[in-house]
Amino acid sequence: MGEGRRGRGLLIVGALMVAAIVLLALLAPYLTPYDPDATVVARYTGPAPPSAAHPLGTDTLGRDVWARIVFGARTSLAVAVLAMLVSLGIGVTVGLVAGYFGRWLDTACMWIVDLVLTLPTLLLLIVLATVLPPSLLTIPLVIGIVGWTTFARTVRGEVLSLRERDYVLAARALGASHAWIIVRHLLPGALPSVLALAALGMSGAIGLDAGLSYLGLGVPLPTPSWGRMISETQTYFAVAPWLVVVPGVALSAAVIGFNLIGYGLLDLLGASRT
Amino acid sequence: MAGYLARRLLRAATTLLGTTLILFVLVRVVPADPAVSIAGPKADPATLAAIRKDLGLDDPLPVQYGRYLWALVHGDLGRSYVTGRGVAALIGERLPATALLAVTSLAIGFALGVGVGLLTAARQGSAADLGVLLATLVGLSIPTFFVGNLLIYLFGYRLRWLPLGGYGGVRHLLLPAATLAFVELLFYARFVHTSVSGTLASDYVRTARAKGVRPLALYLRHALRNALVPIVTLLGLDVASLMSGVVLTETVFNWPGLGRLAVQAVFSLDIPLVAGTVLFSAVLVLACNLAVDLLYGVIDPRVQHG
Repeated sequence: MGEGRRGRGLLIVGALMVAAIVLLALLAPYLTPYDPDATVVARYTGPAPPSAAHPLGTDTLGRDVWARIVFGARTSLAVAVLAMLVSLGIGVTVGLVAGYFGRWLDTACMWIVDLVLTLPTLLLLIVLATVLPPSLLTIPLVIGIVGWTTFARTVRGEVLSLRERDYVLAARALGASHAWIIVRHLLPGALPSVLALAALGMSGAIGLDAGLSYLGLGVPLPTPSWGRMISETQTYFAVAPWLVVVPGVALSAAVIGFNLIGYGLLDLLGASRT
Repeated sequence: MAGYLARRLLRAATTLLGTTLILFVLVRVVPADPAVSIAGPKADPATLAAIRKDLGLDDPLPVQYGRYLWALVHGDLGRSYVTGRGVAALIGERLPATALLAVTSLAIGFALGVGVGLLTAARQGSAADLGVLLATLVGLSIPTFFVGNLLIYLFGYRLRWLPLGGYGGVRHLLLPAATLAFVELLFYARFVHTSVSGTLASDYVRTARAKGVRPLALYLRHALRNALVPIVTLLGLDVASLMSGVVLTETVFNWPGLGRLAVQAVFSLDIPLVAGTVLFSAVLVLACNLAVDLLYGVIDPRVQHG
């Protein structure tokens, strides 16, 4: 009972934060009159602190920080959603196959999971980002490729417990095909925890994308990105702290929001099972 | 125990082999021609052909992979395209800085994290649980490089107590180590809290309490010992994520370690150097996980018979 209430609380706060960021991204062109990539100050005299015309100030190239934040939200969310879908696709497939067929297929799949877990994520990302030219498509792809292991493990675990249930055995006895059993009987059972993982996957992807952008290996210029905003301006931190703090807070808020949703869902799942 | 050990060793060996295969494939599908990377874009075709022949780039891929493995077995990680020096030597130069940073921050973060986890677990109740969950959730959500920059601003620019970055004495180490330790602390605090408070609520602890075991003995002998196995597992797995944190932290603080080396190598398209650094970190992670598996035998006697 306490778990359930706590889960719902976390979920609501997280959903509100995420909704706010999604709105920023969707309404970006209506929220600011400025082009995020254009120099908008008439005469550049260094980064300017927040003012009436520029609520979050201007940056080292005289661009409007608020415009870059709202358009940067689009980049962050787009990359994270795509990356999460890639992870979800690979992870759920591998988990279903490994859990359902078992035996050597299970061993092989789990060996690959171990292999990916052994490679330091960011370093593997760096190699992949070097091999594939960075773009709005390849960055989510490489983040998705390194992030699917948790999905695979969880789905496999769920399937292992589901496949011996009476209704699955009954379906098999009735002559249902493997594909039918997997899609109609096993997948729905694993779905709730996959949903929670998807939220956690979003926060993970946002964090990794920010890390890559910070290192200069993310989505290429001129697309505004929160991670790059920090790396571009960190040497000005002493004179223009808002340039680093604003994207940093935006990033943290996005990650916190999705994490709250993920943990809230996990809490609710745990509560409903006991 | 011997069977268990053999199984673990075999698994580590196959994982290592898989890692080399992944790296080999990645390195060979790089669109940039290694010969061009070495000789420069203006090199004439004859020079390029000579370099290709020298590196064996025209041989069939399995032959190249075999040669790569053969060299690895002999400790040869290849040569940097840019400086022409051995990758192993370059890694060796940078290793002490990374080891210093990683070990310091892990030791501080782990000790503090386990302490905080134990203290908060002793205070049973949903308020303490919620507090730990929220604090760690928020703390772990803040990107490492942002934490690092905030510390630089506070202690470097504002208070002027510590240098803004670079490598040197203890004063240079403090901020990067604190950045990484912050993450480790929250990570272990959450885990130890959950693990120990779960054990404290279990039946056998209740039985022990009913039998009159004193609270401190109950806590240390029964609850902590049982929580130790998953904590040690986590320590092994954590090495991989620690390496990721190291890459970012070294970049923030301009710390001359392996992470900086790898990132700089990426920008100069120095593929052997990138691959070498990644392989080295993978071996490190594997070794730590293997060590953890062996530790199990000591902590949990059941493993030896399993």
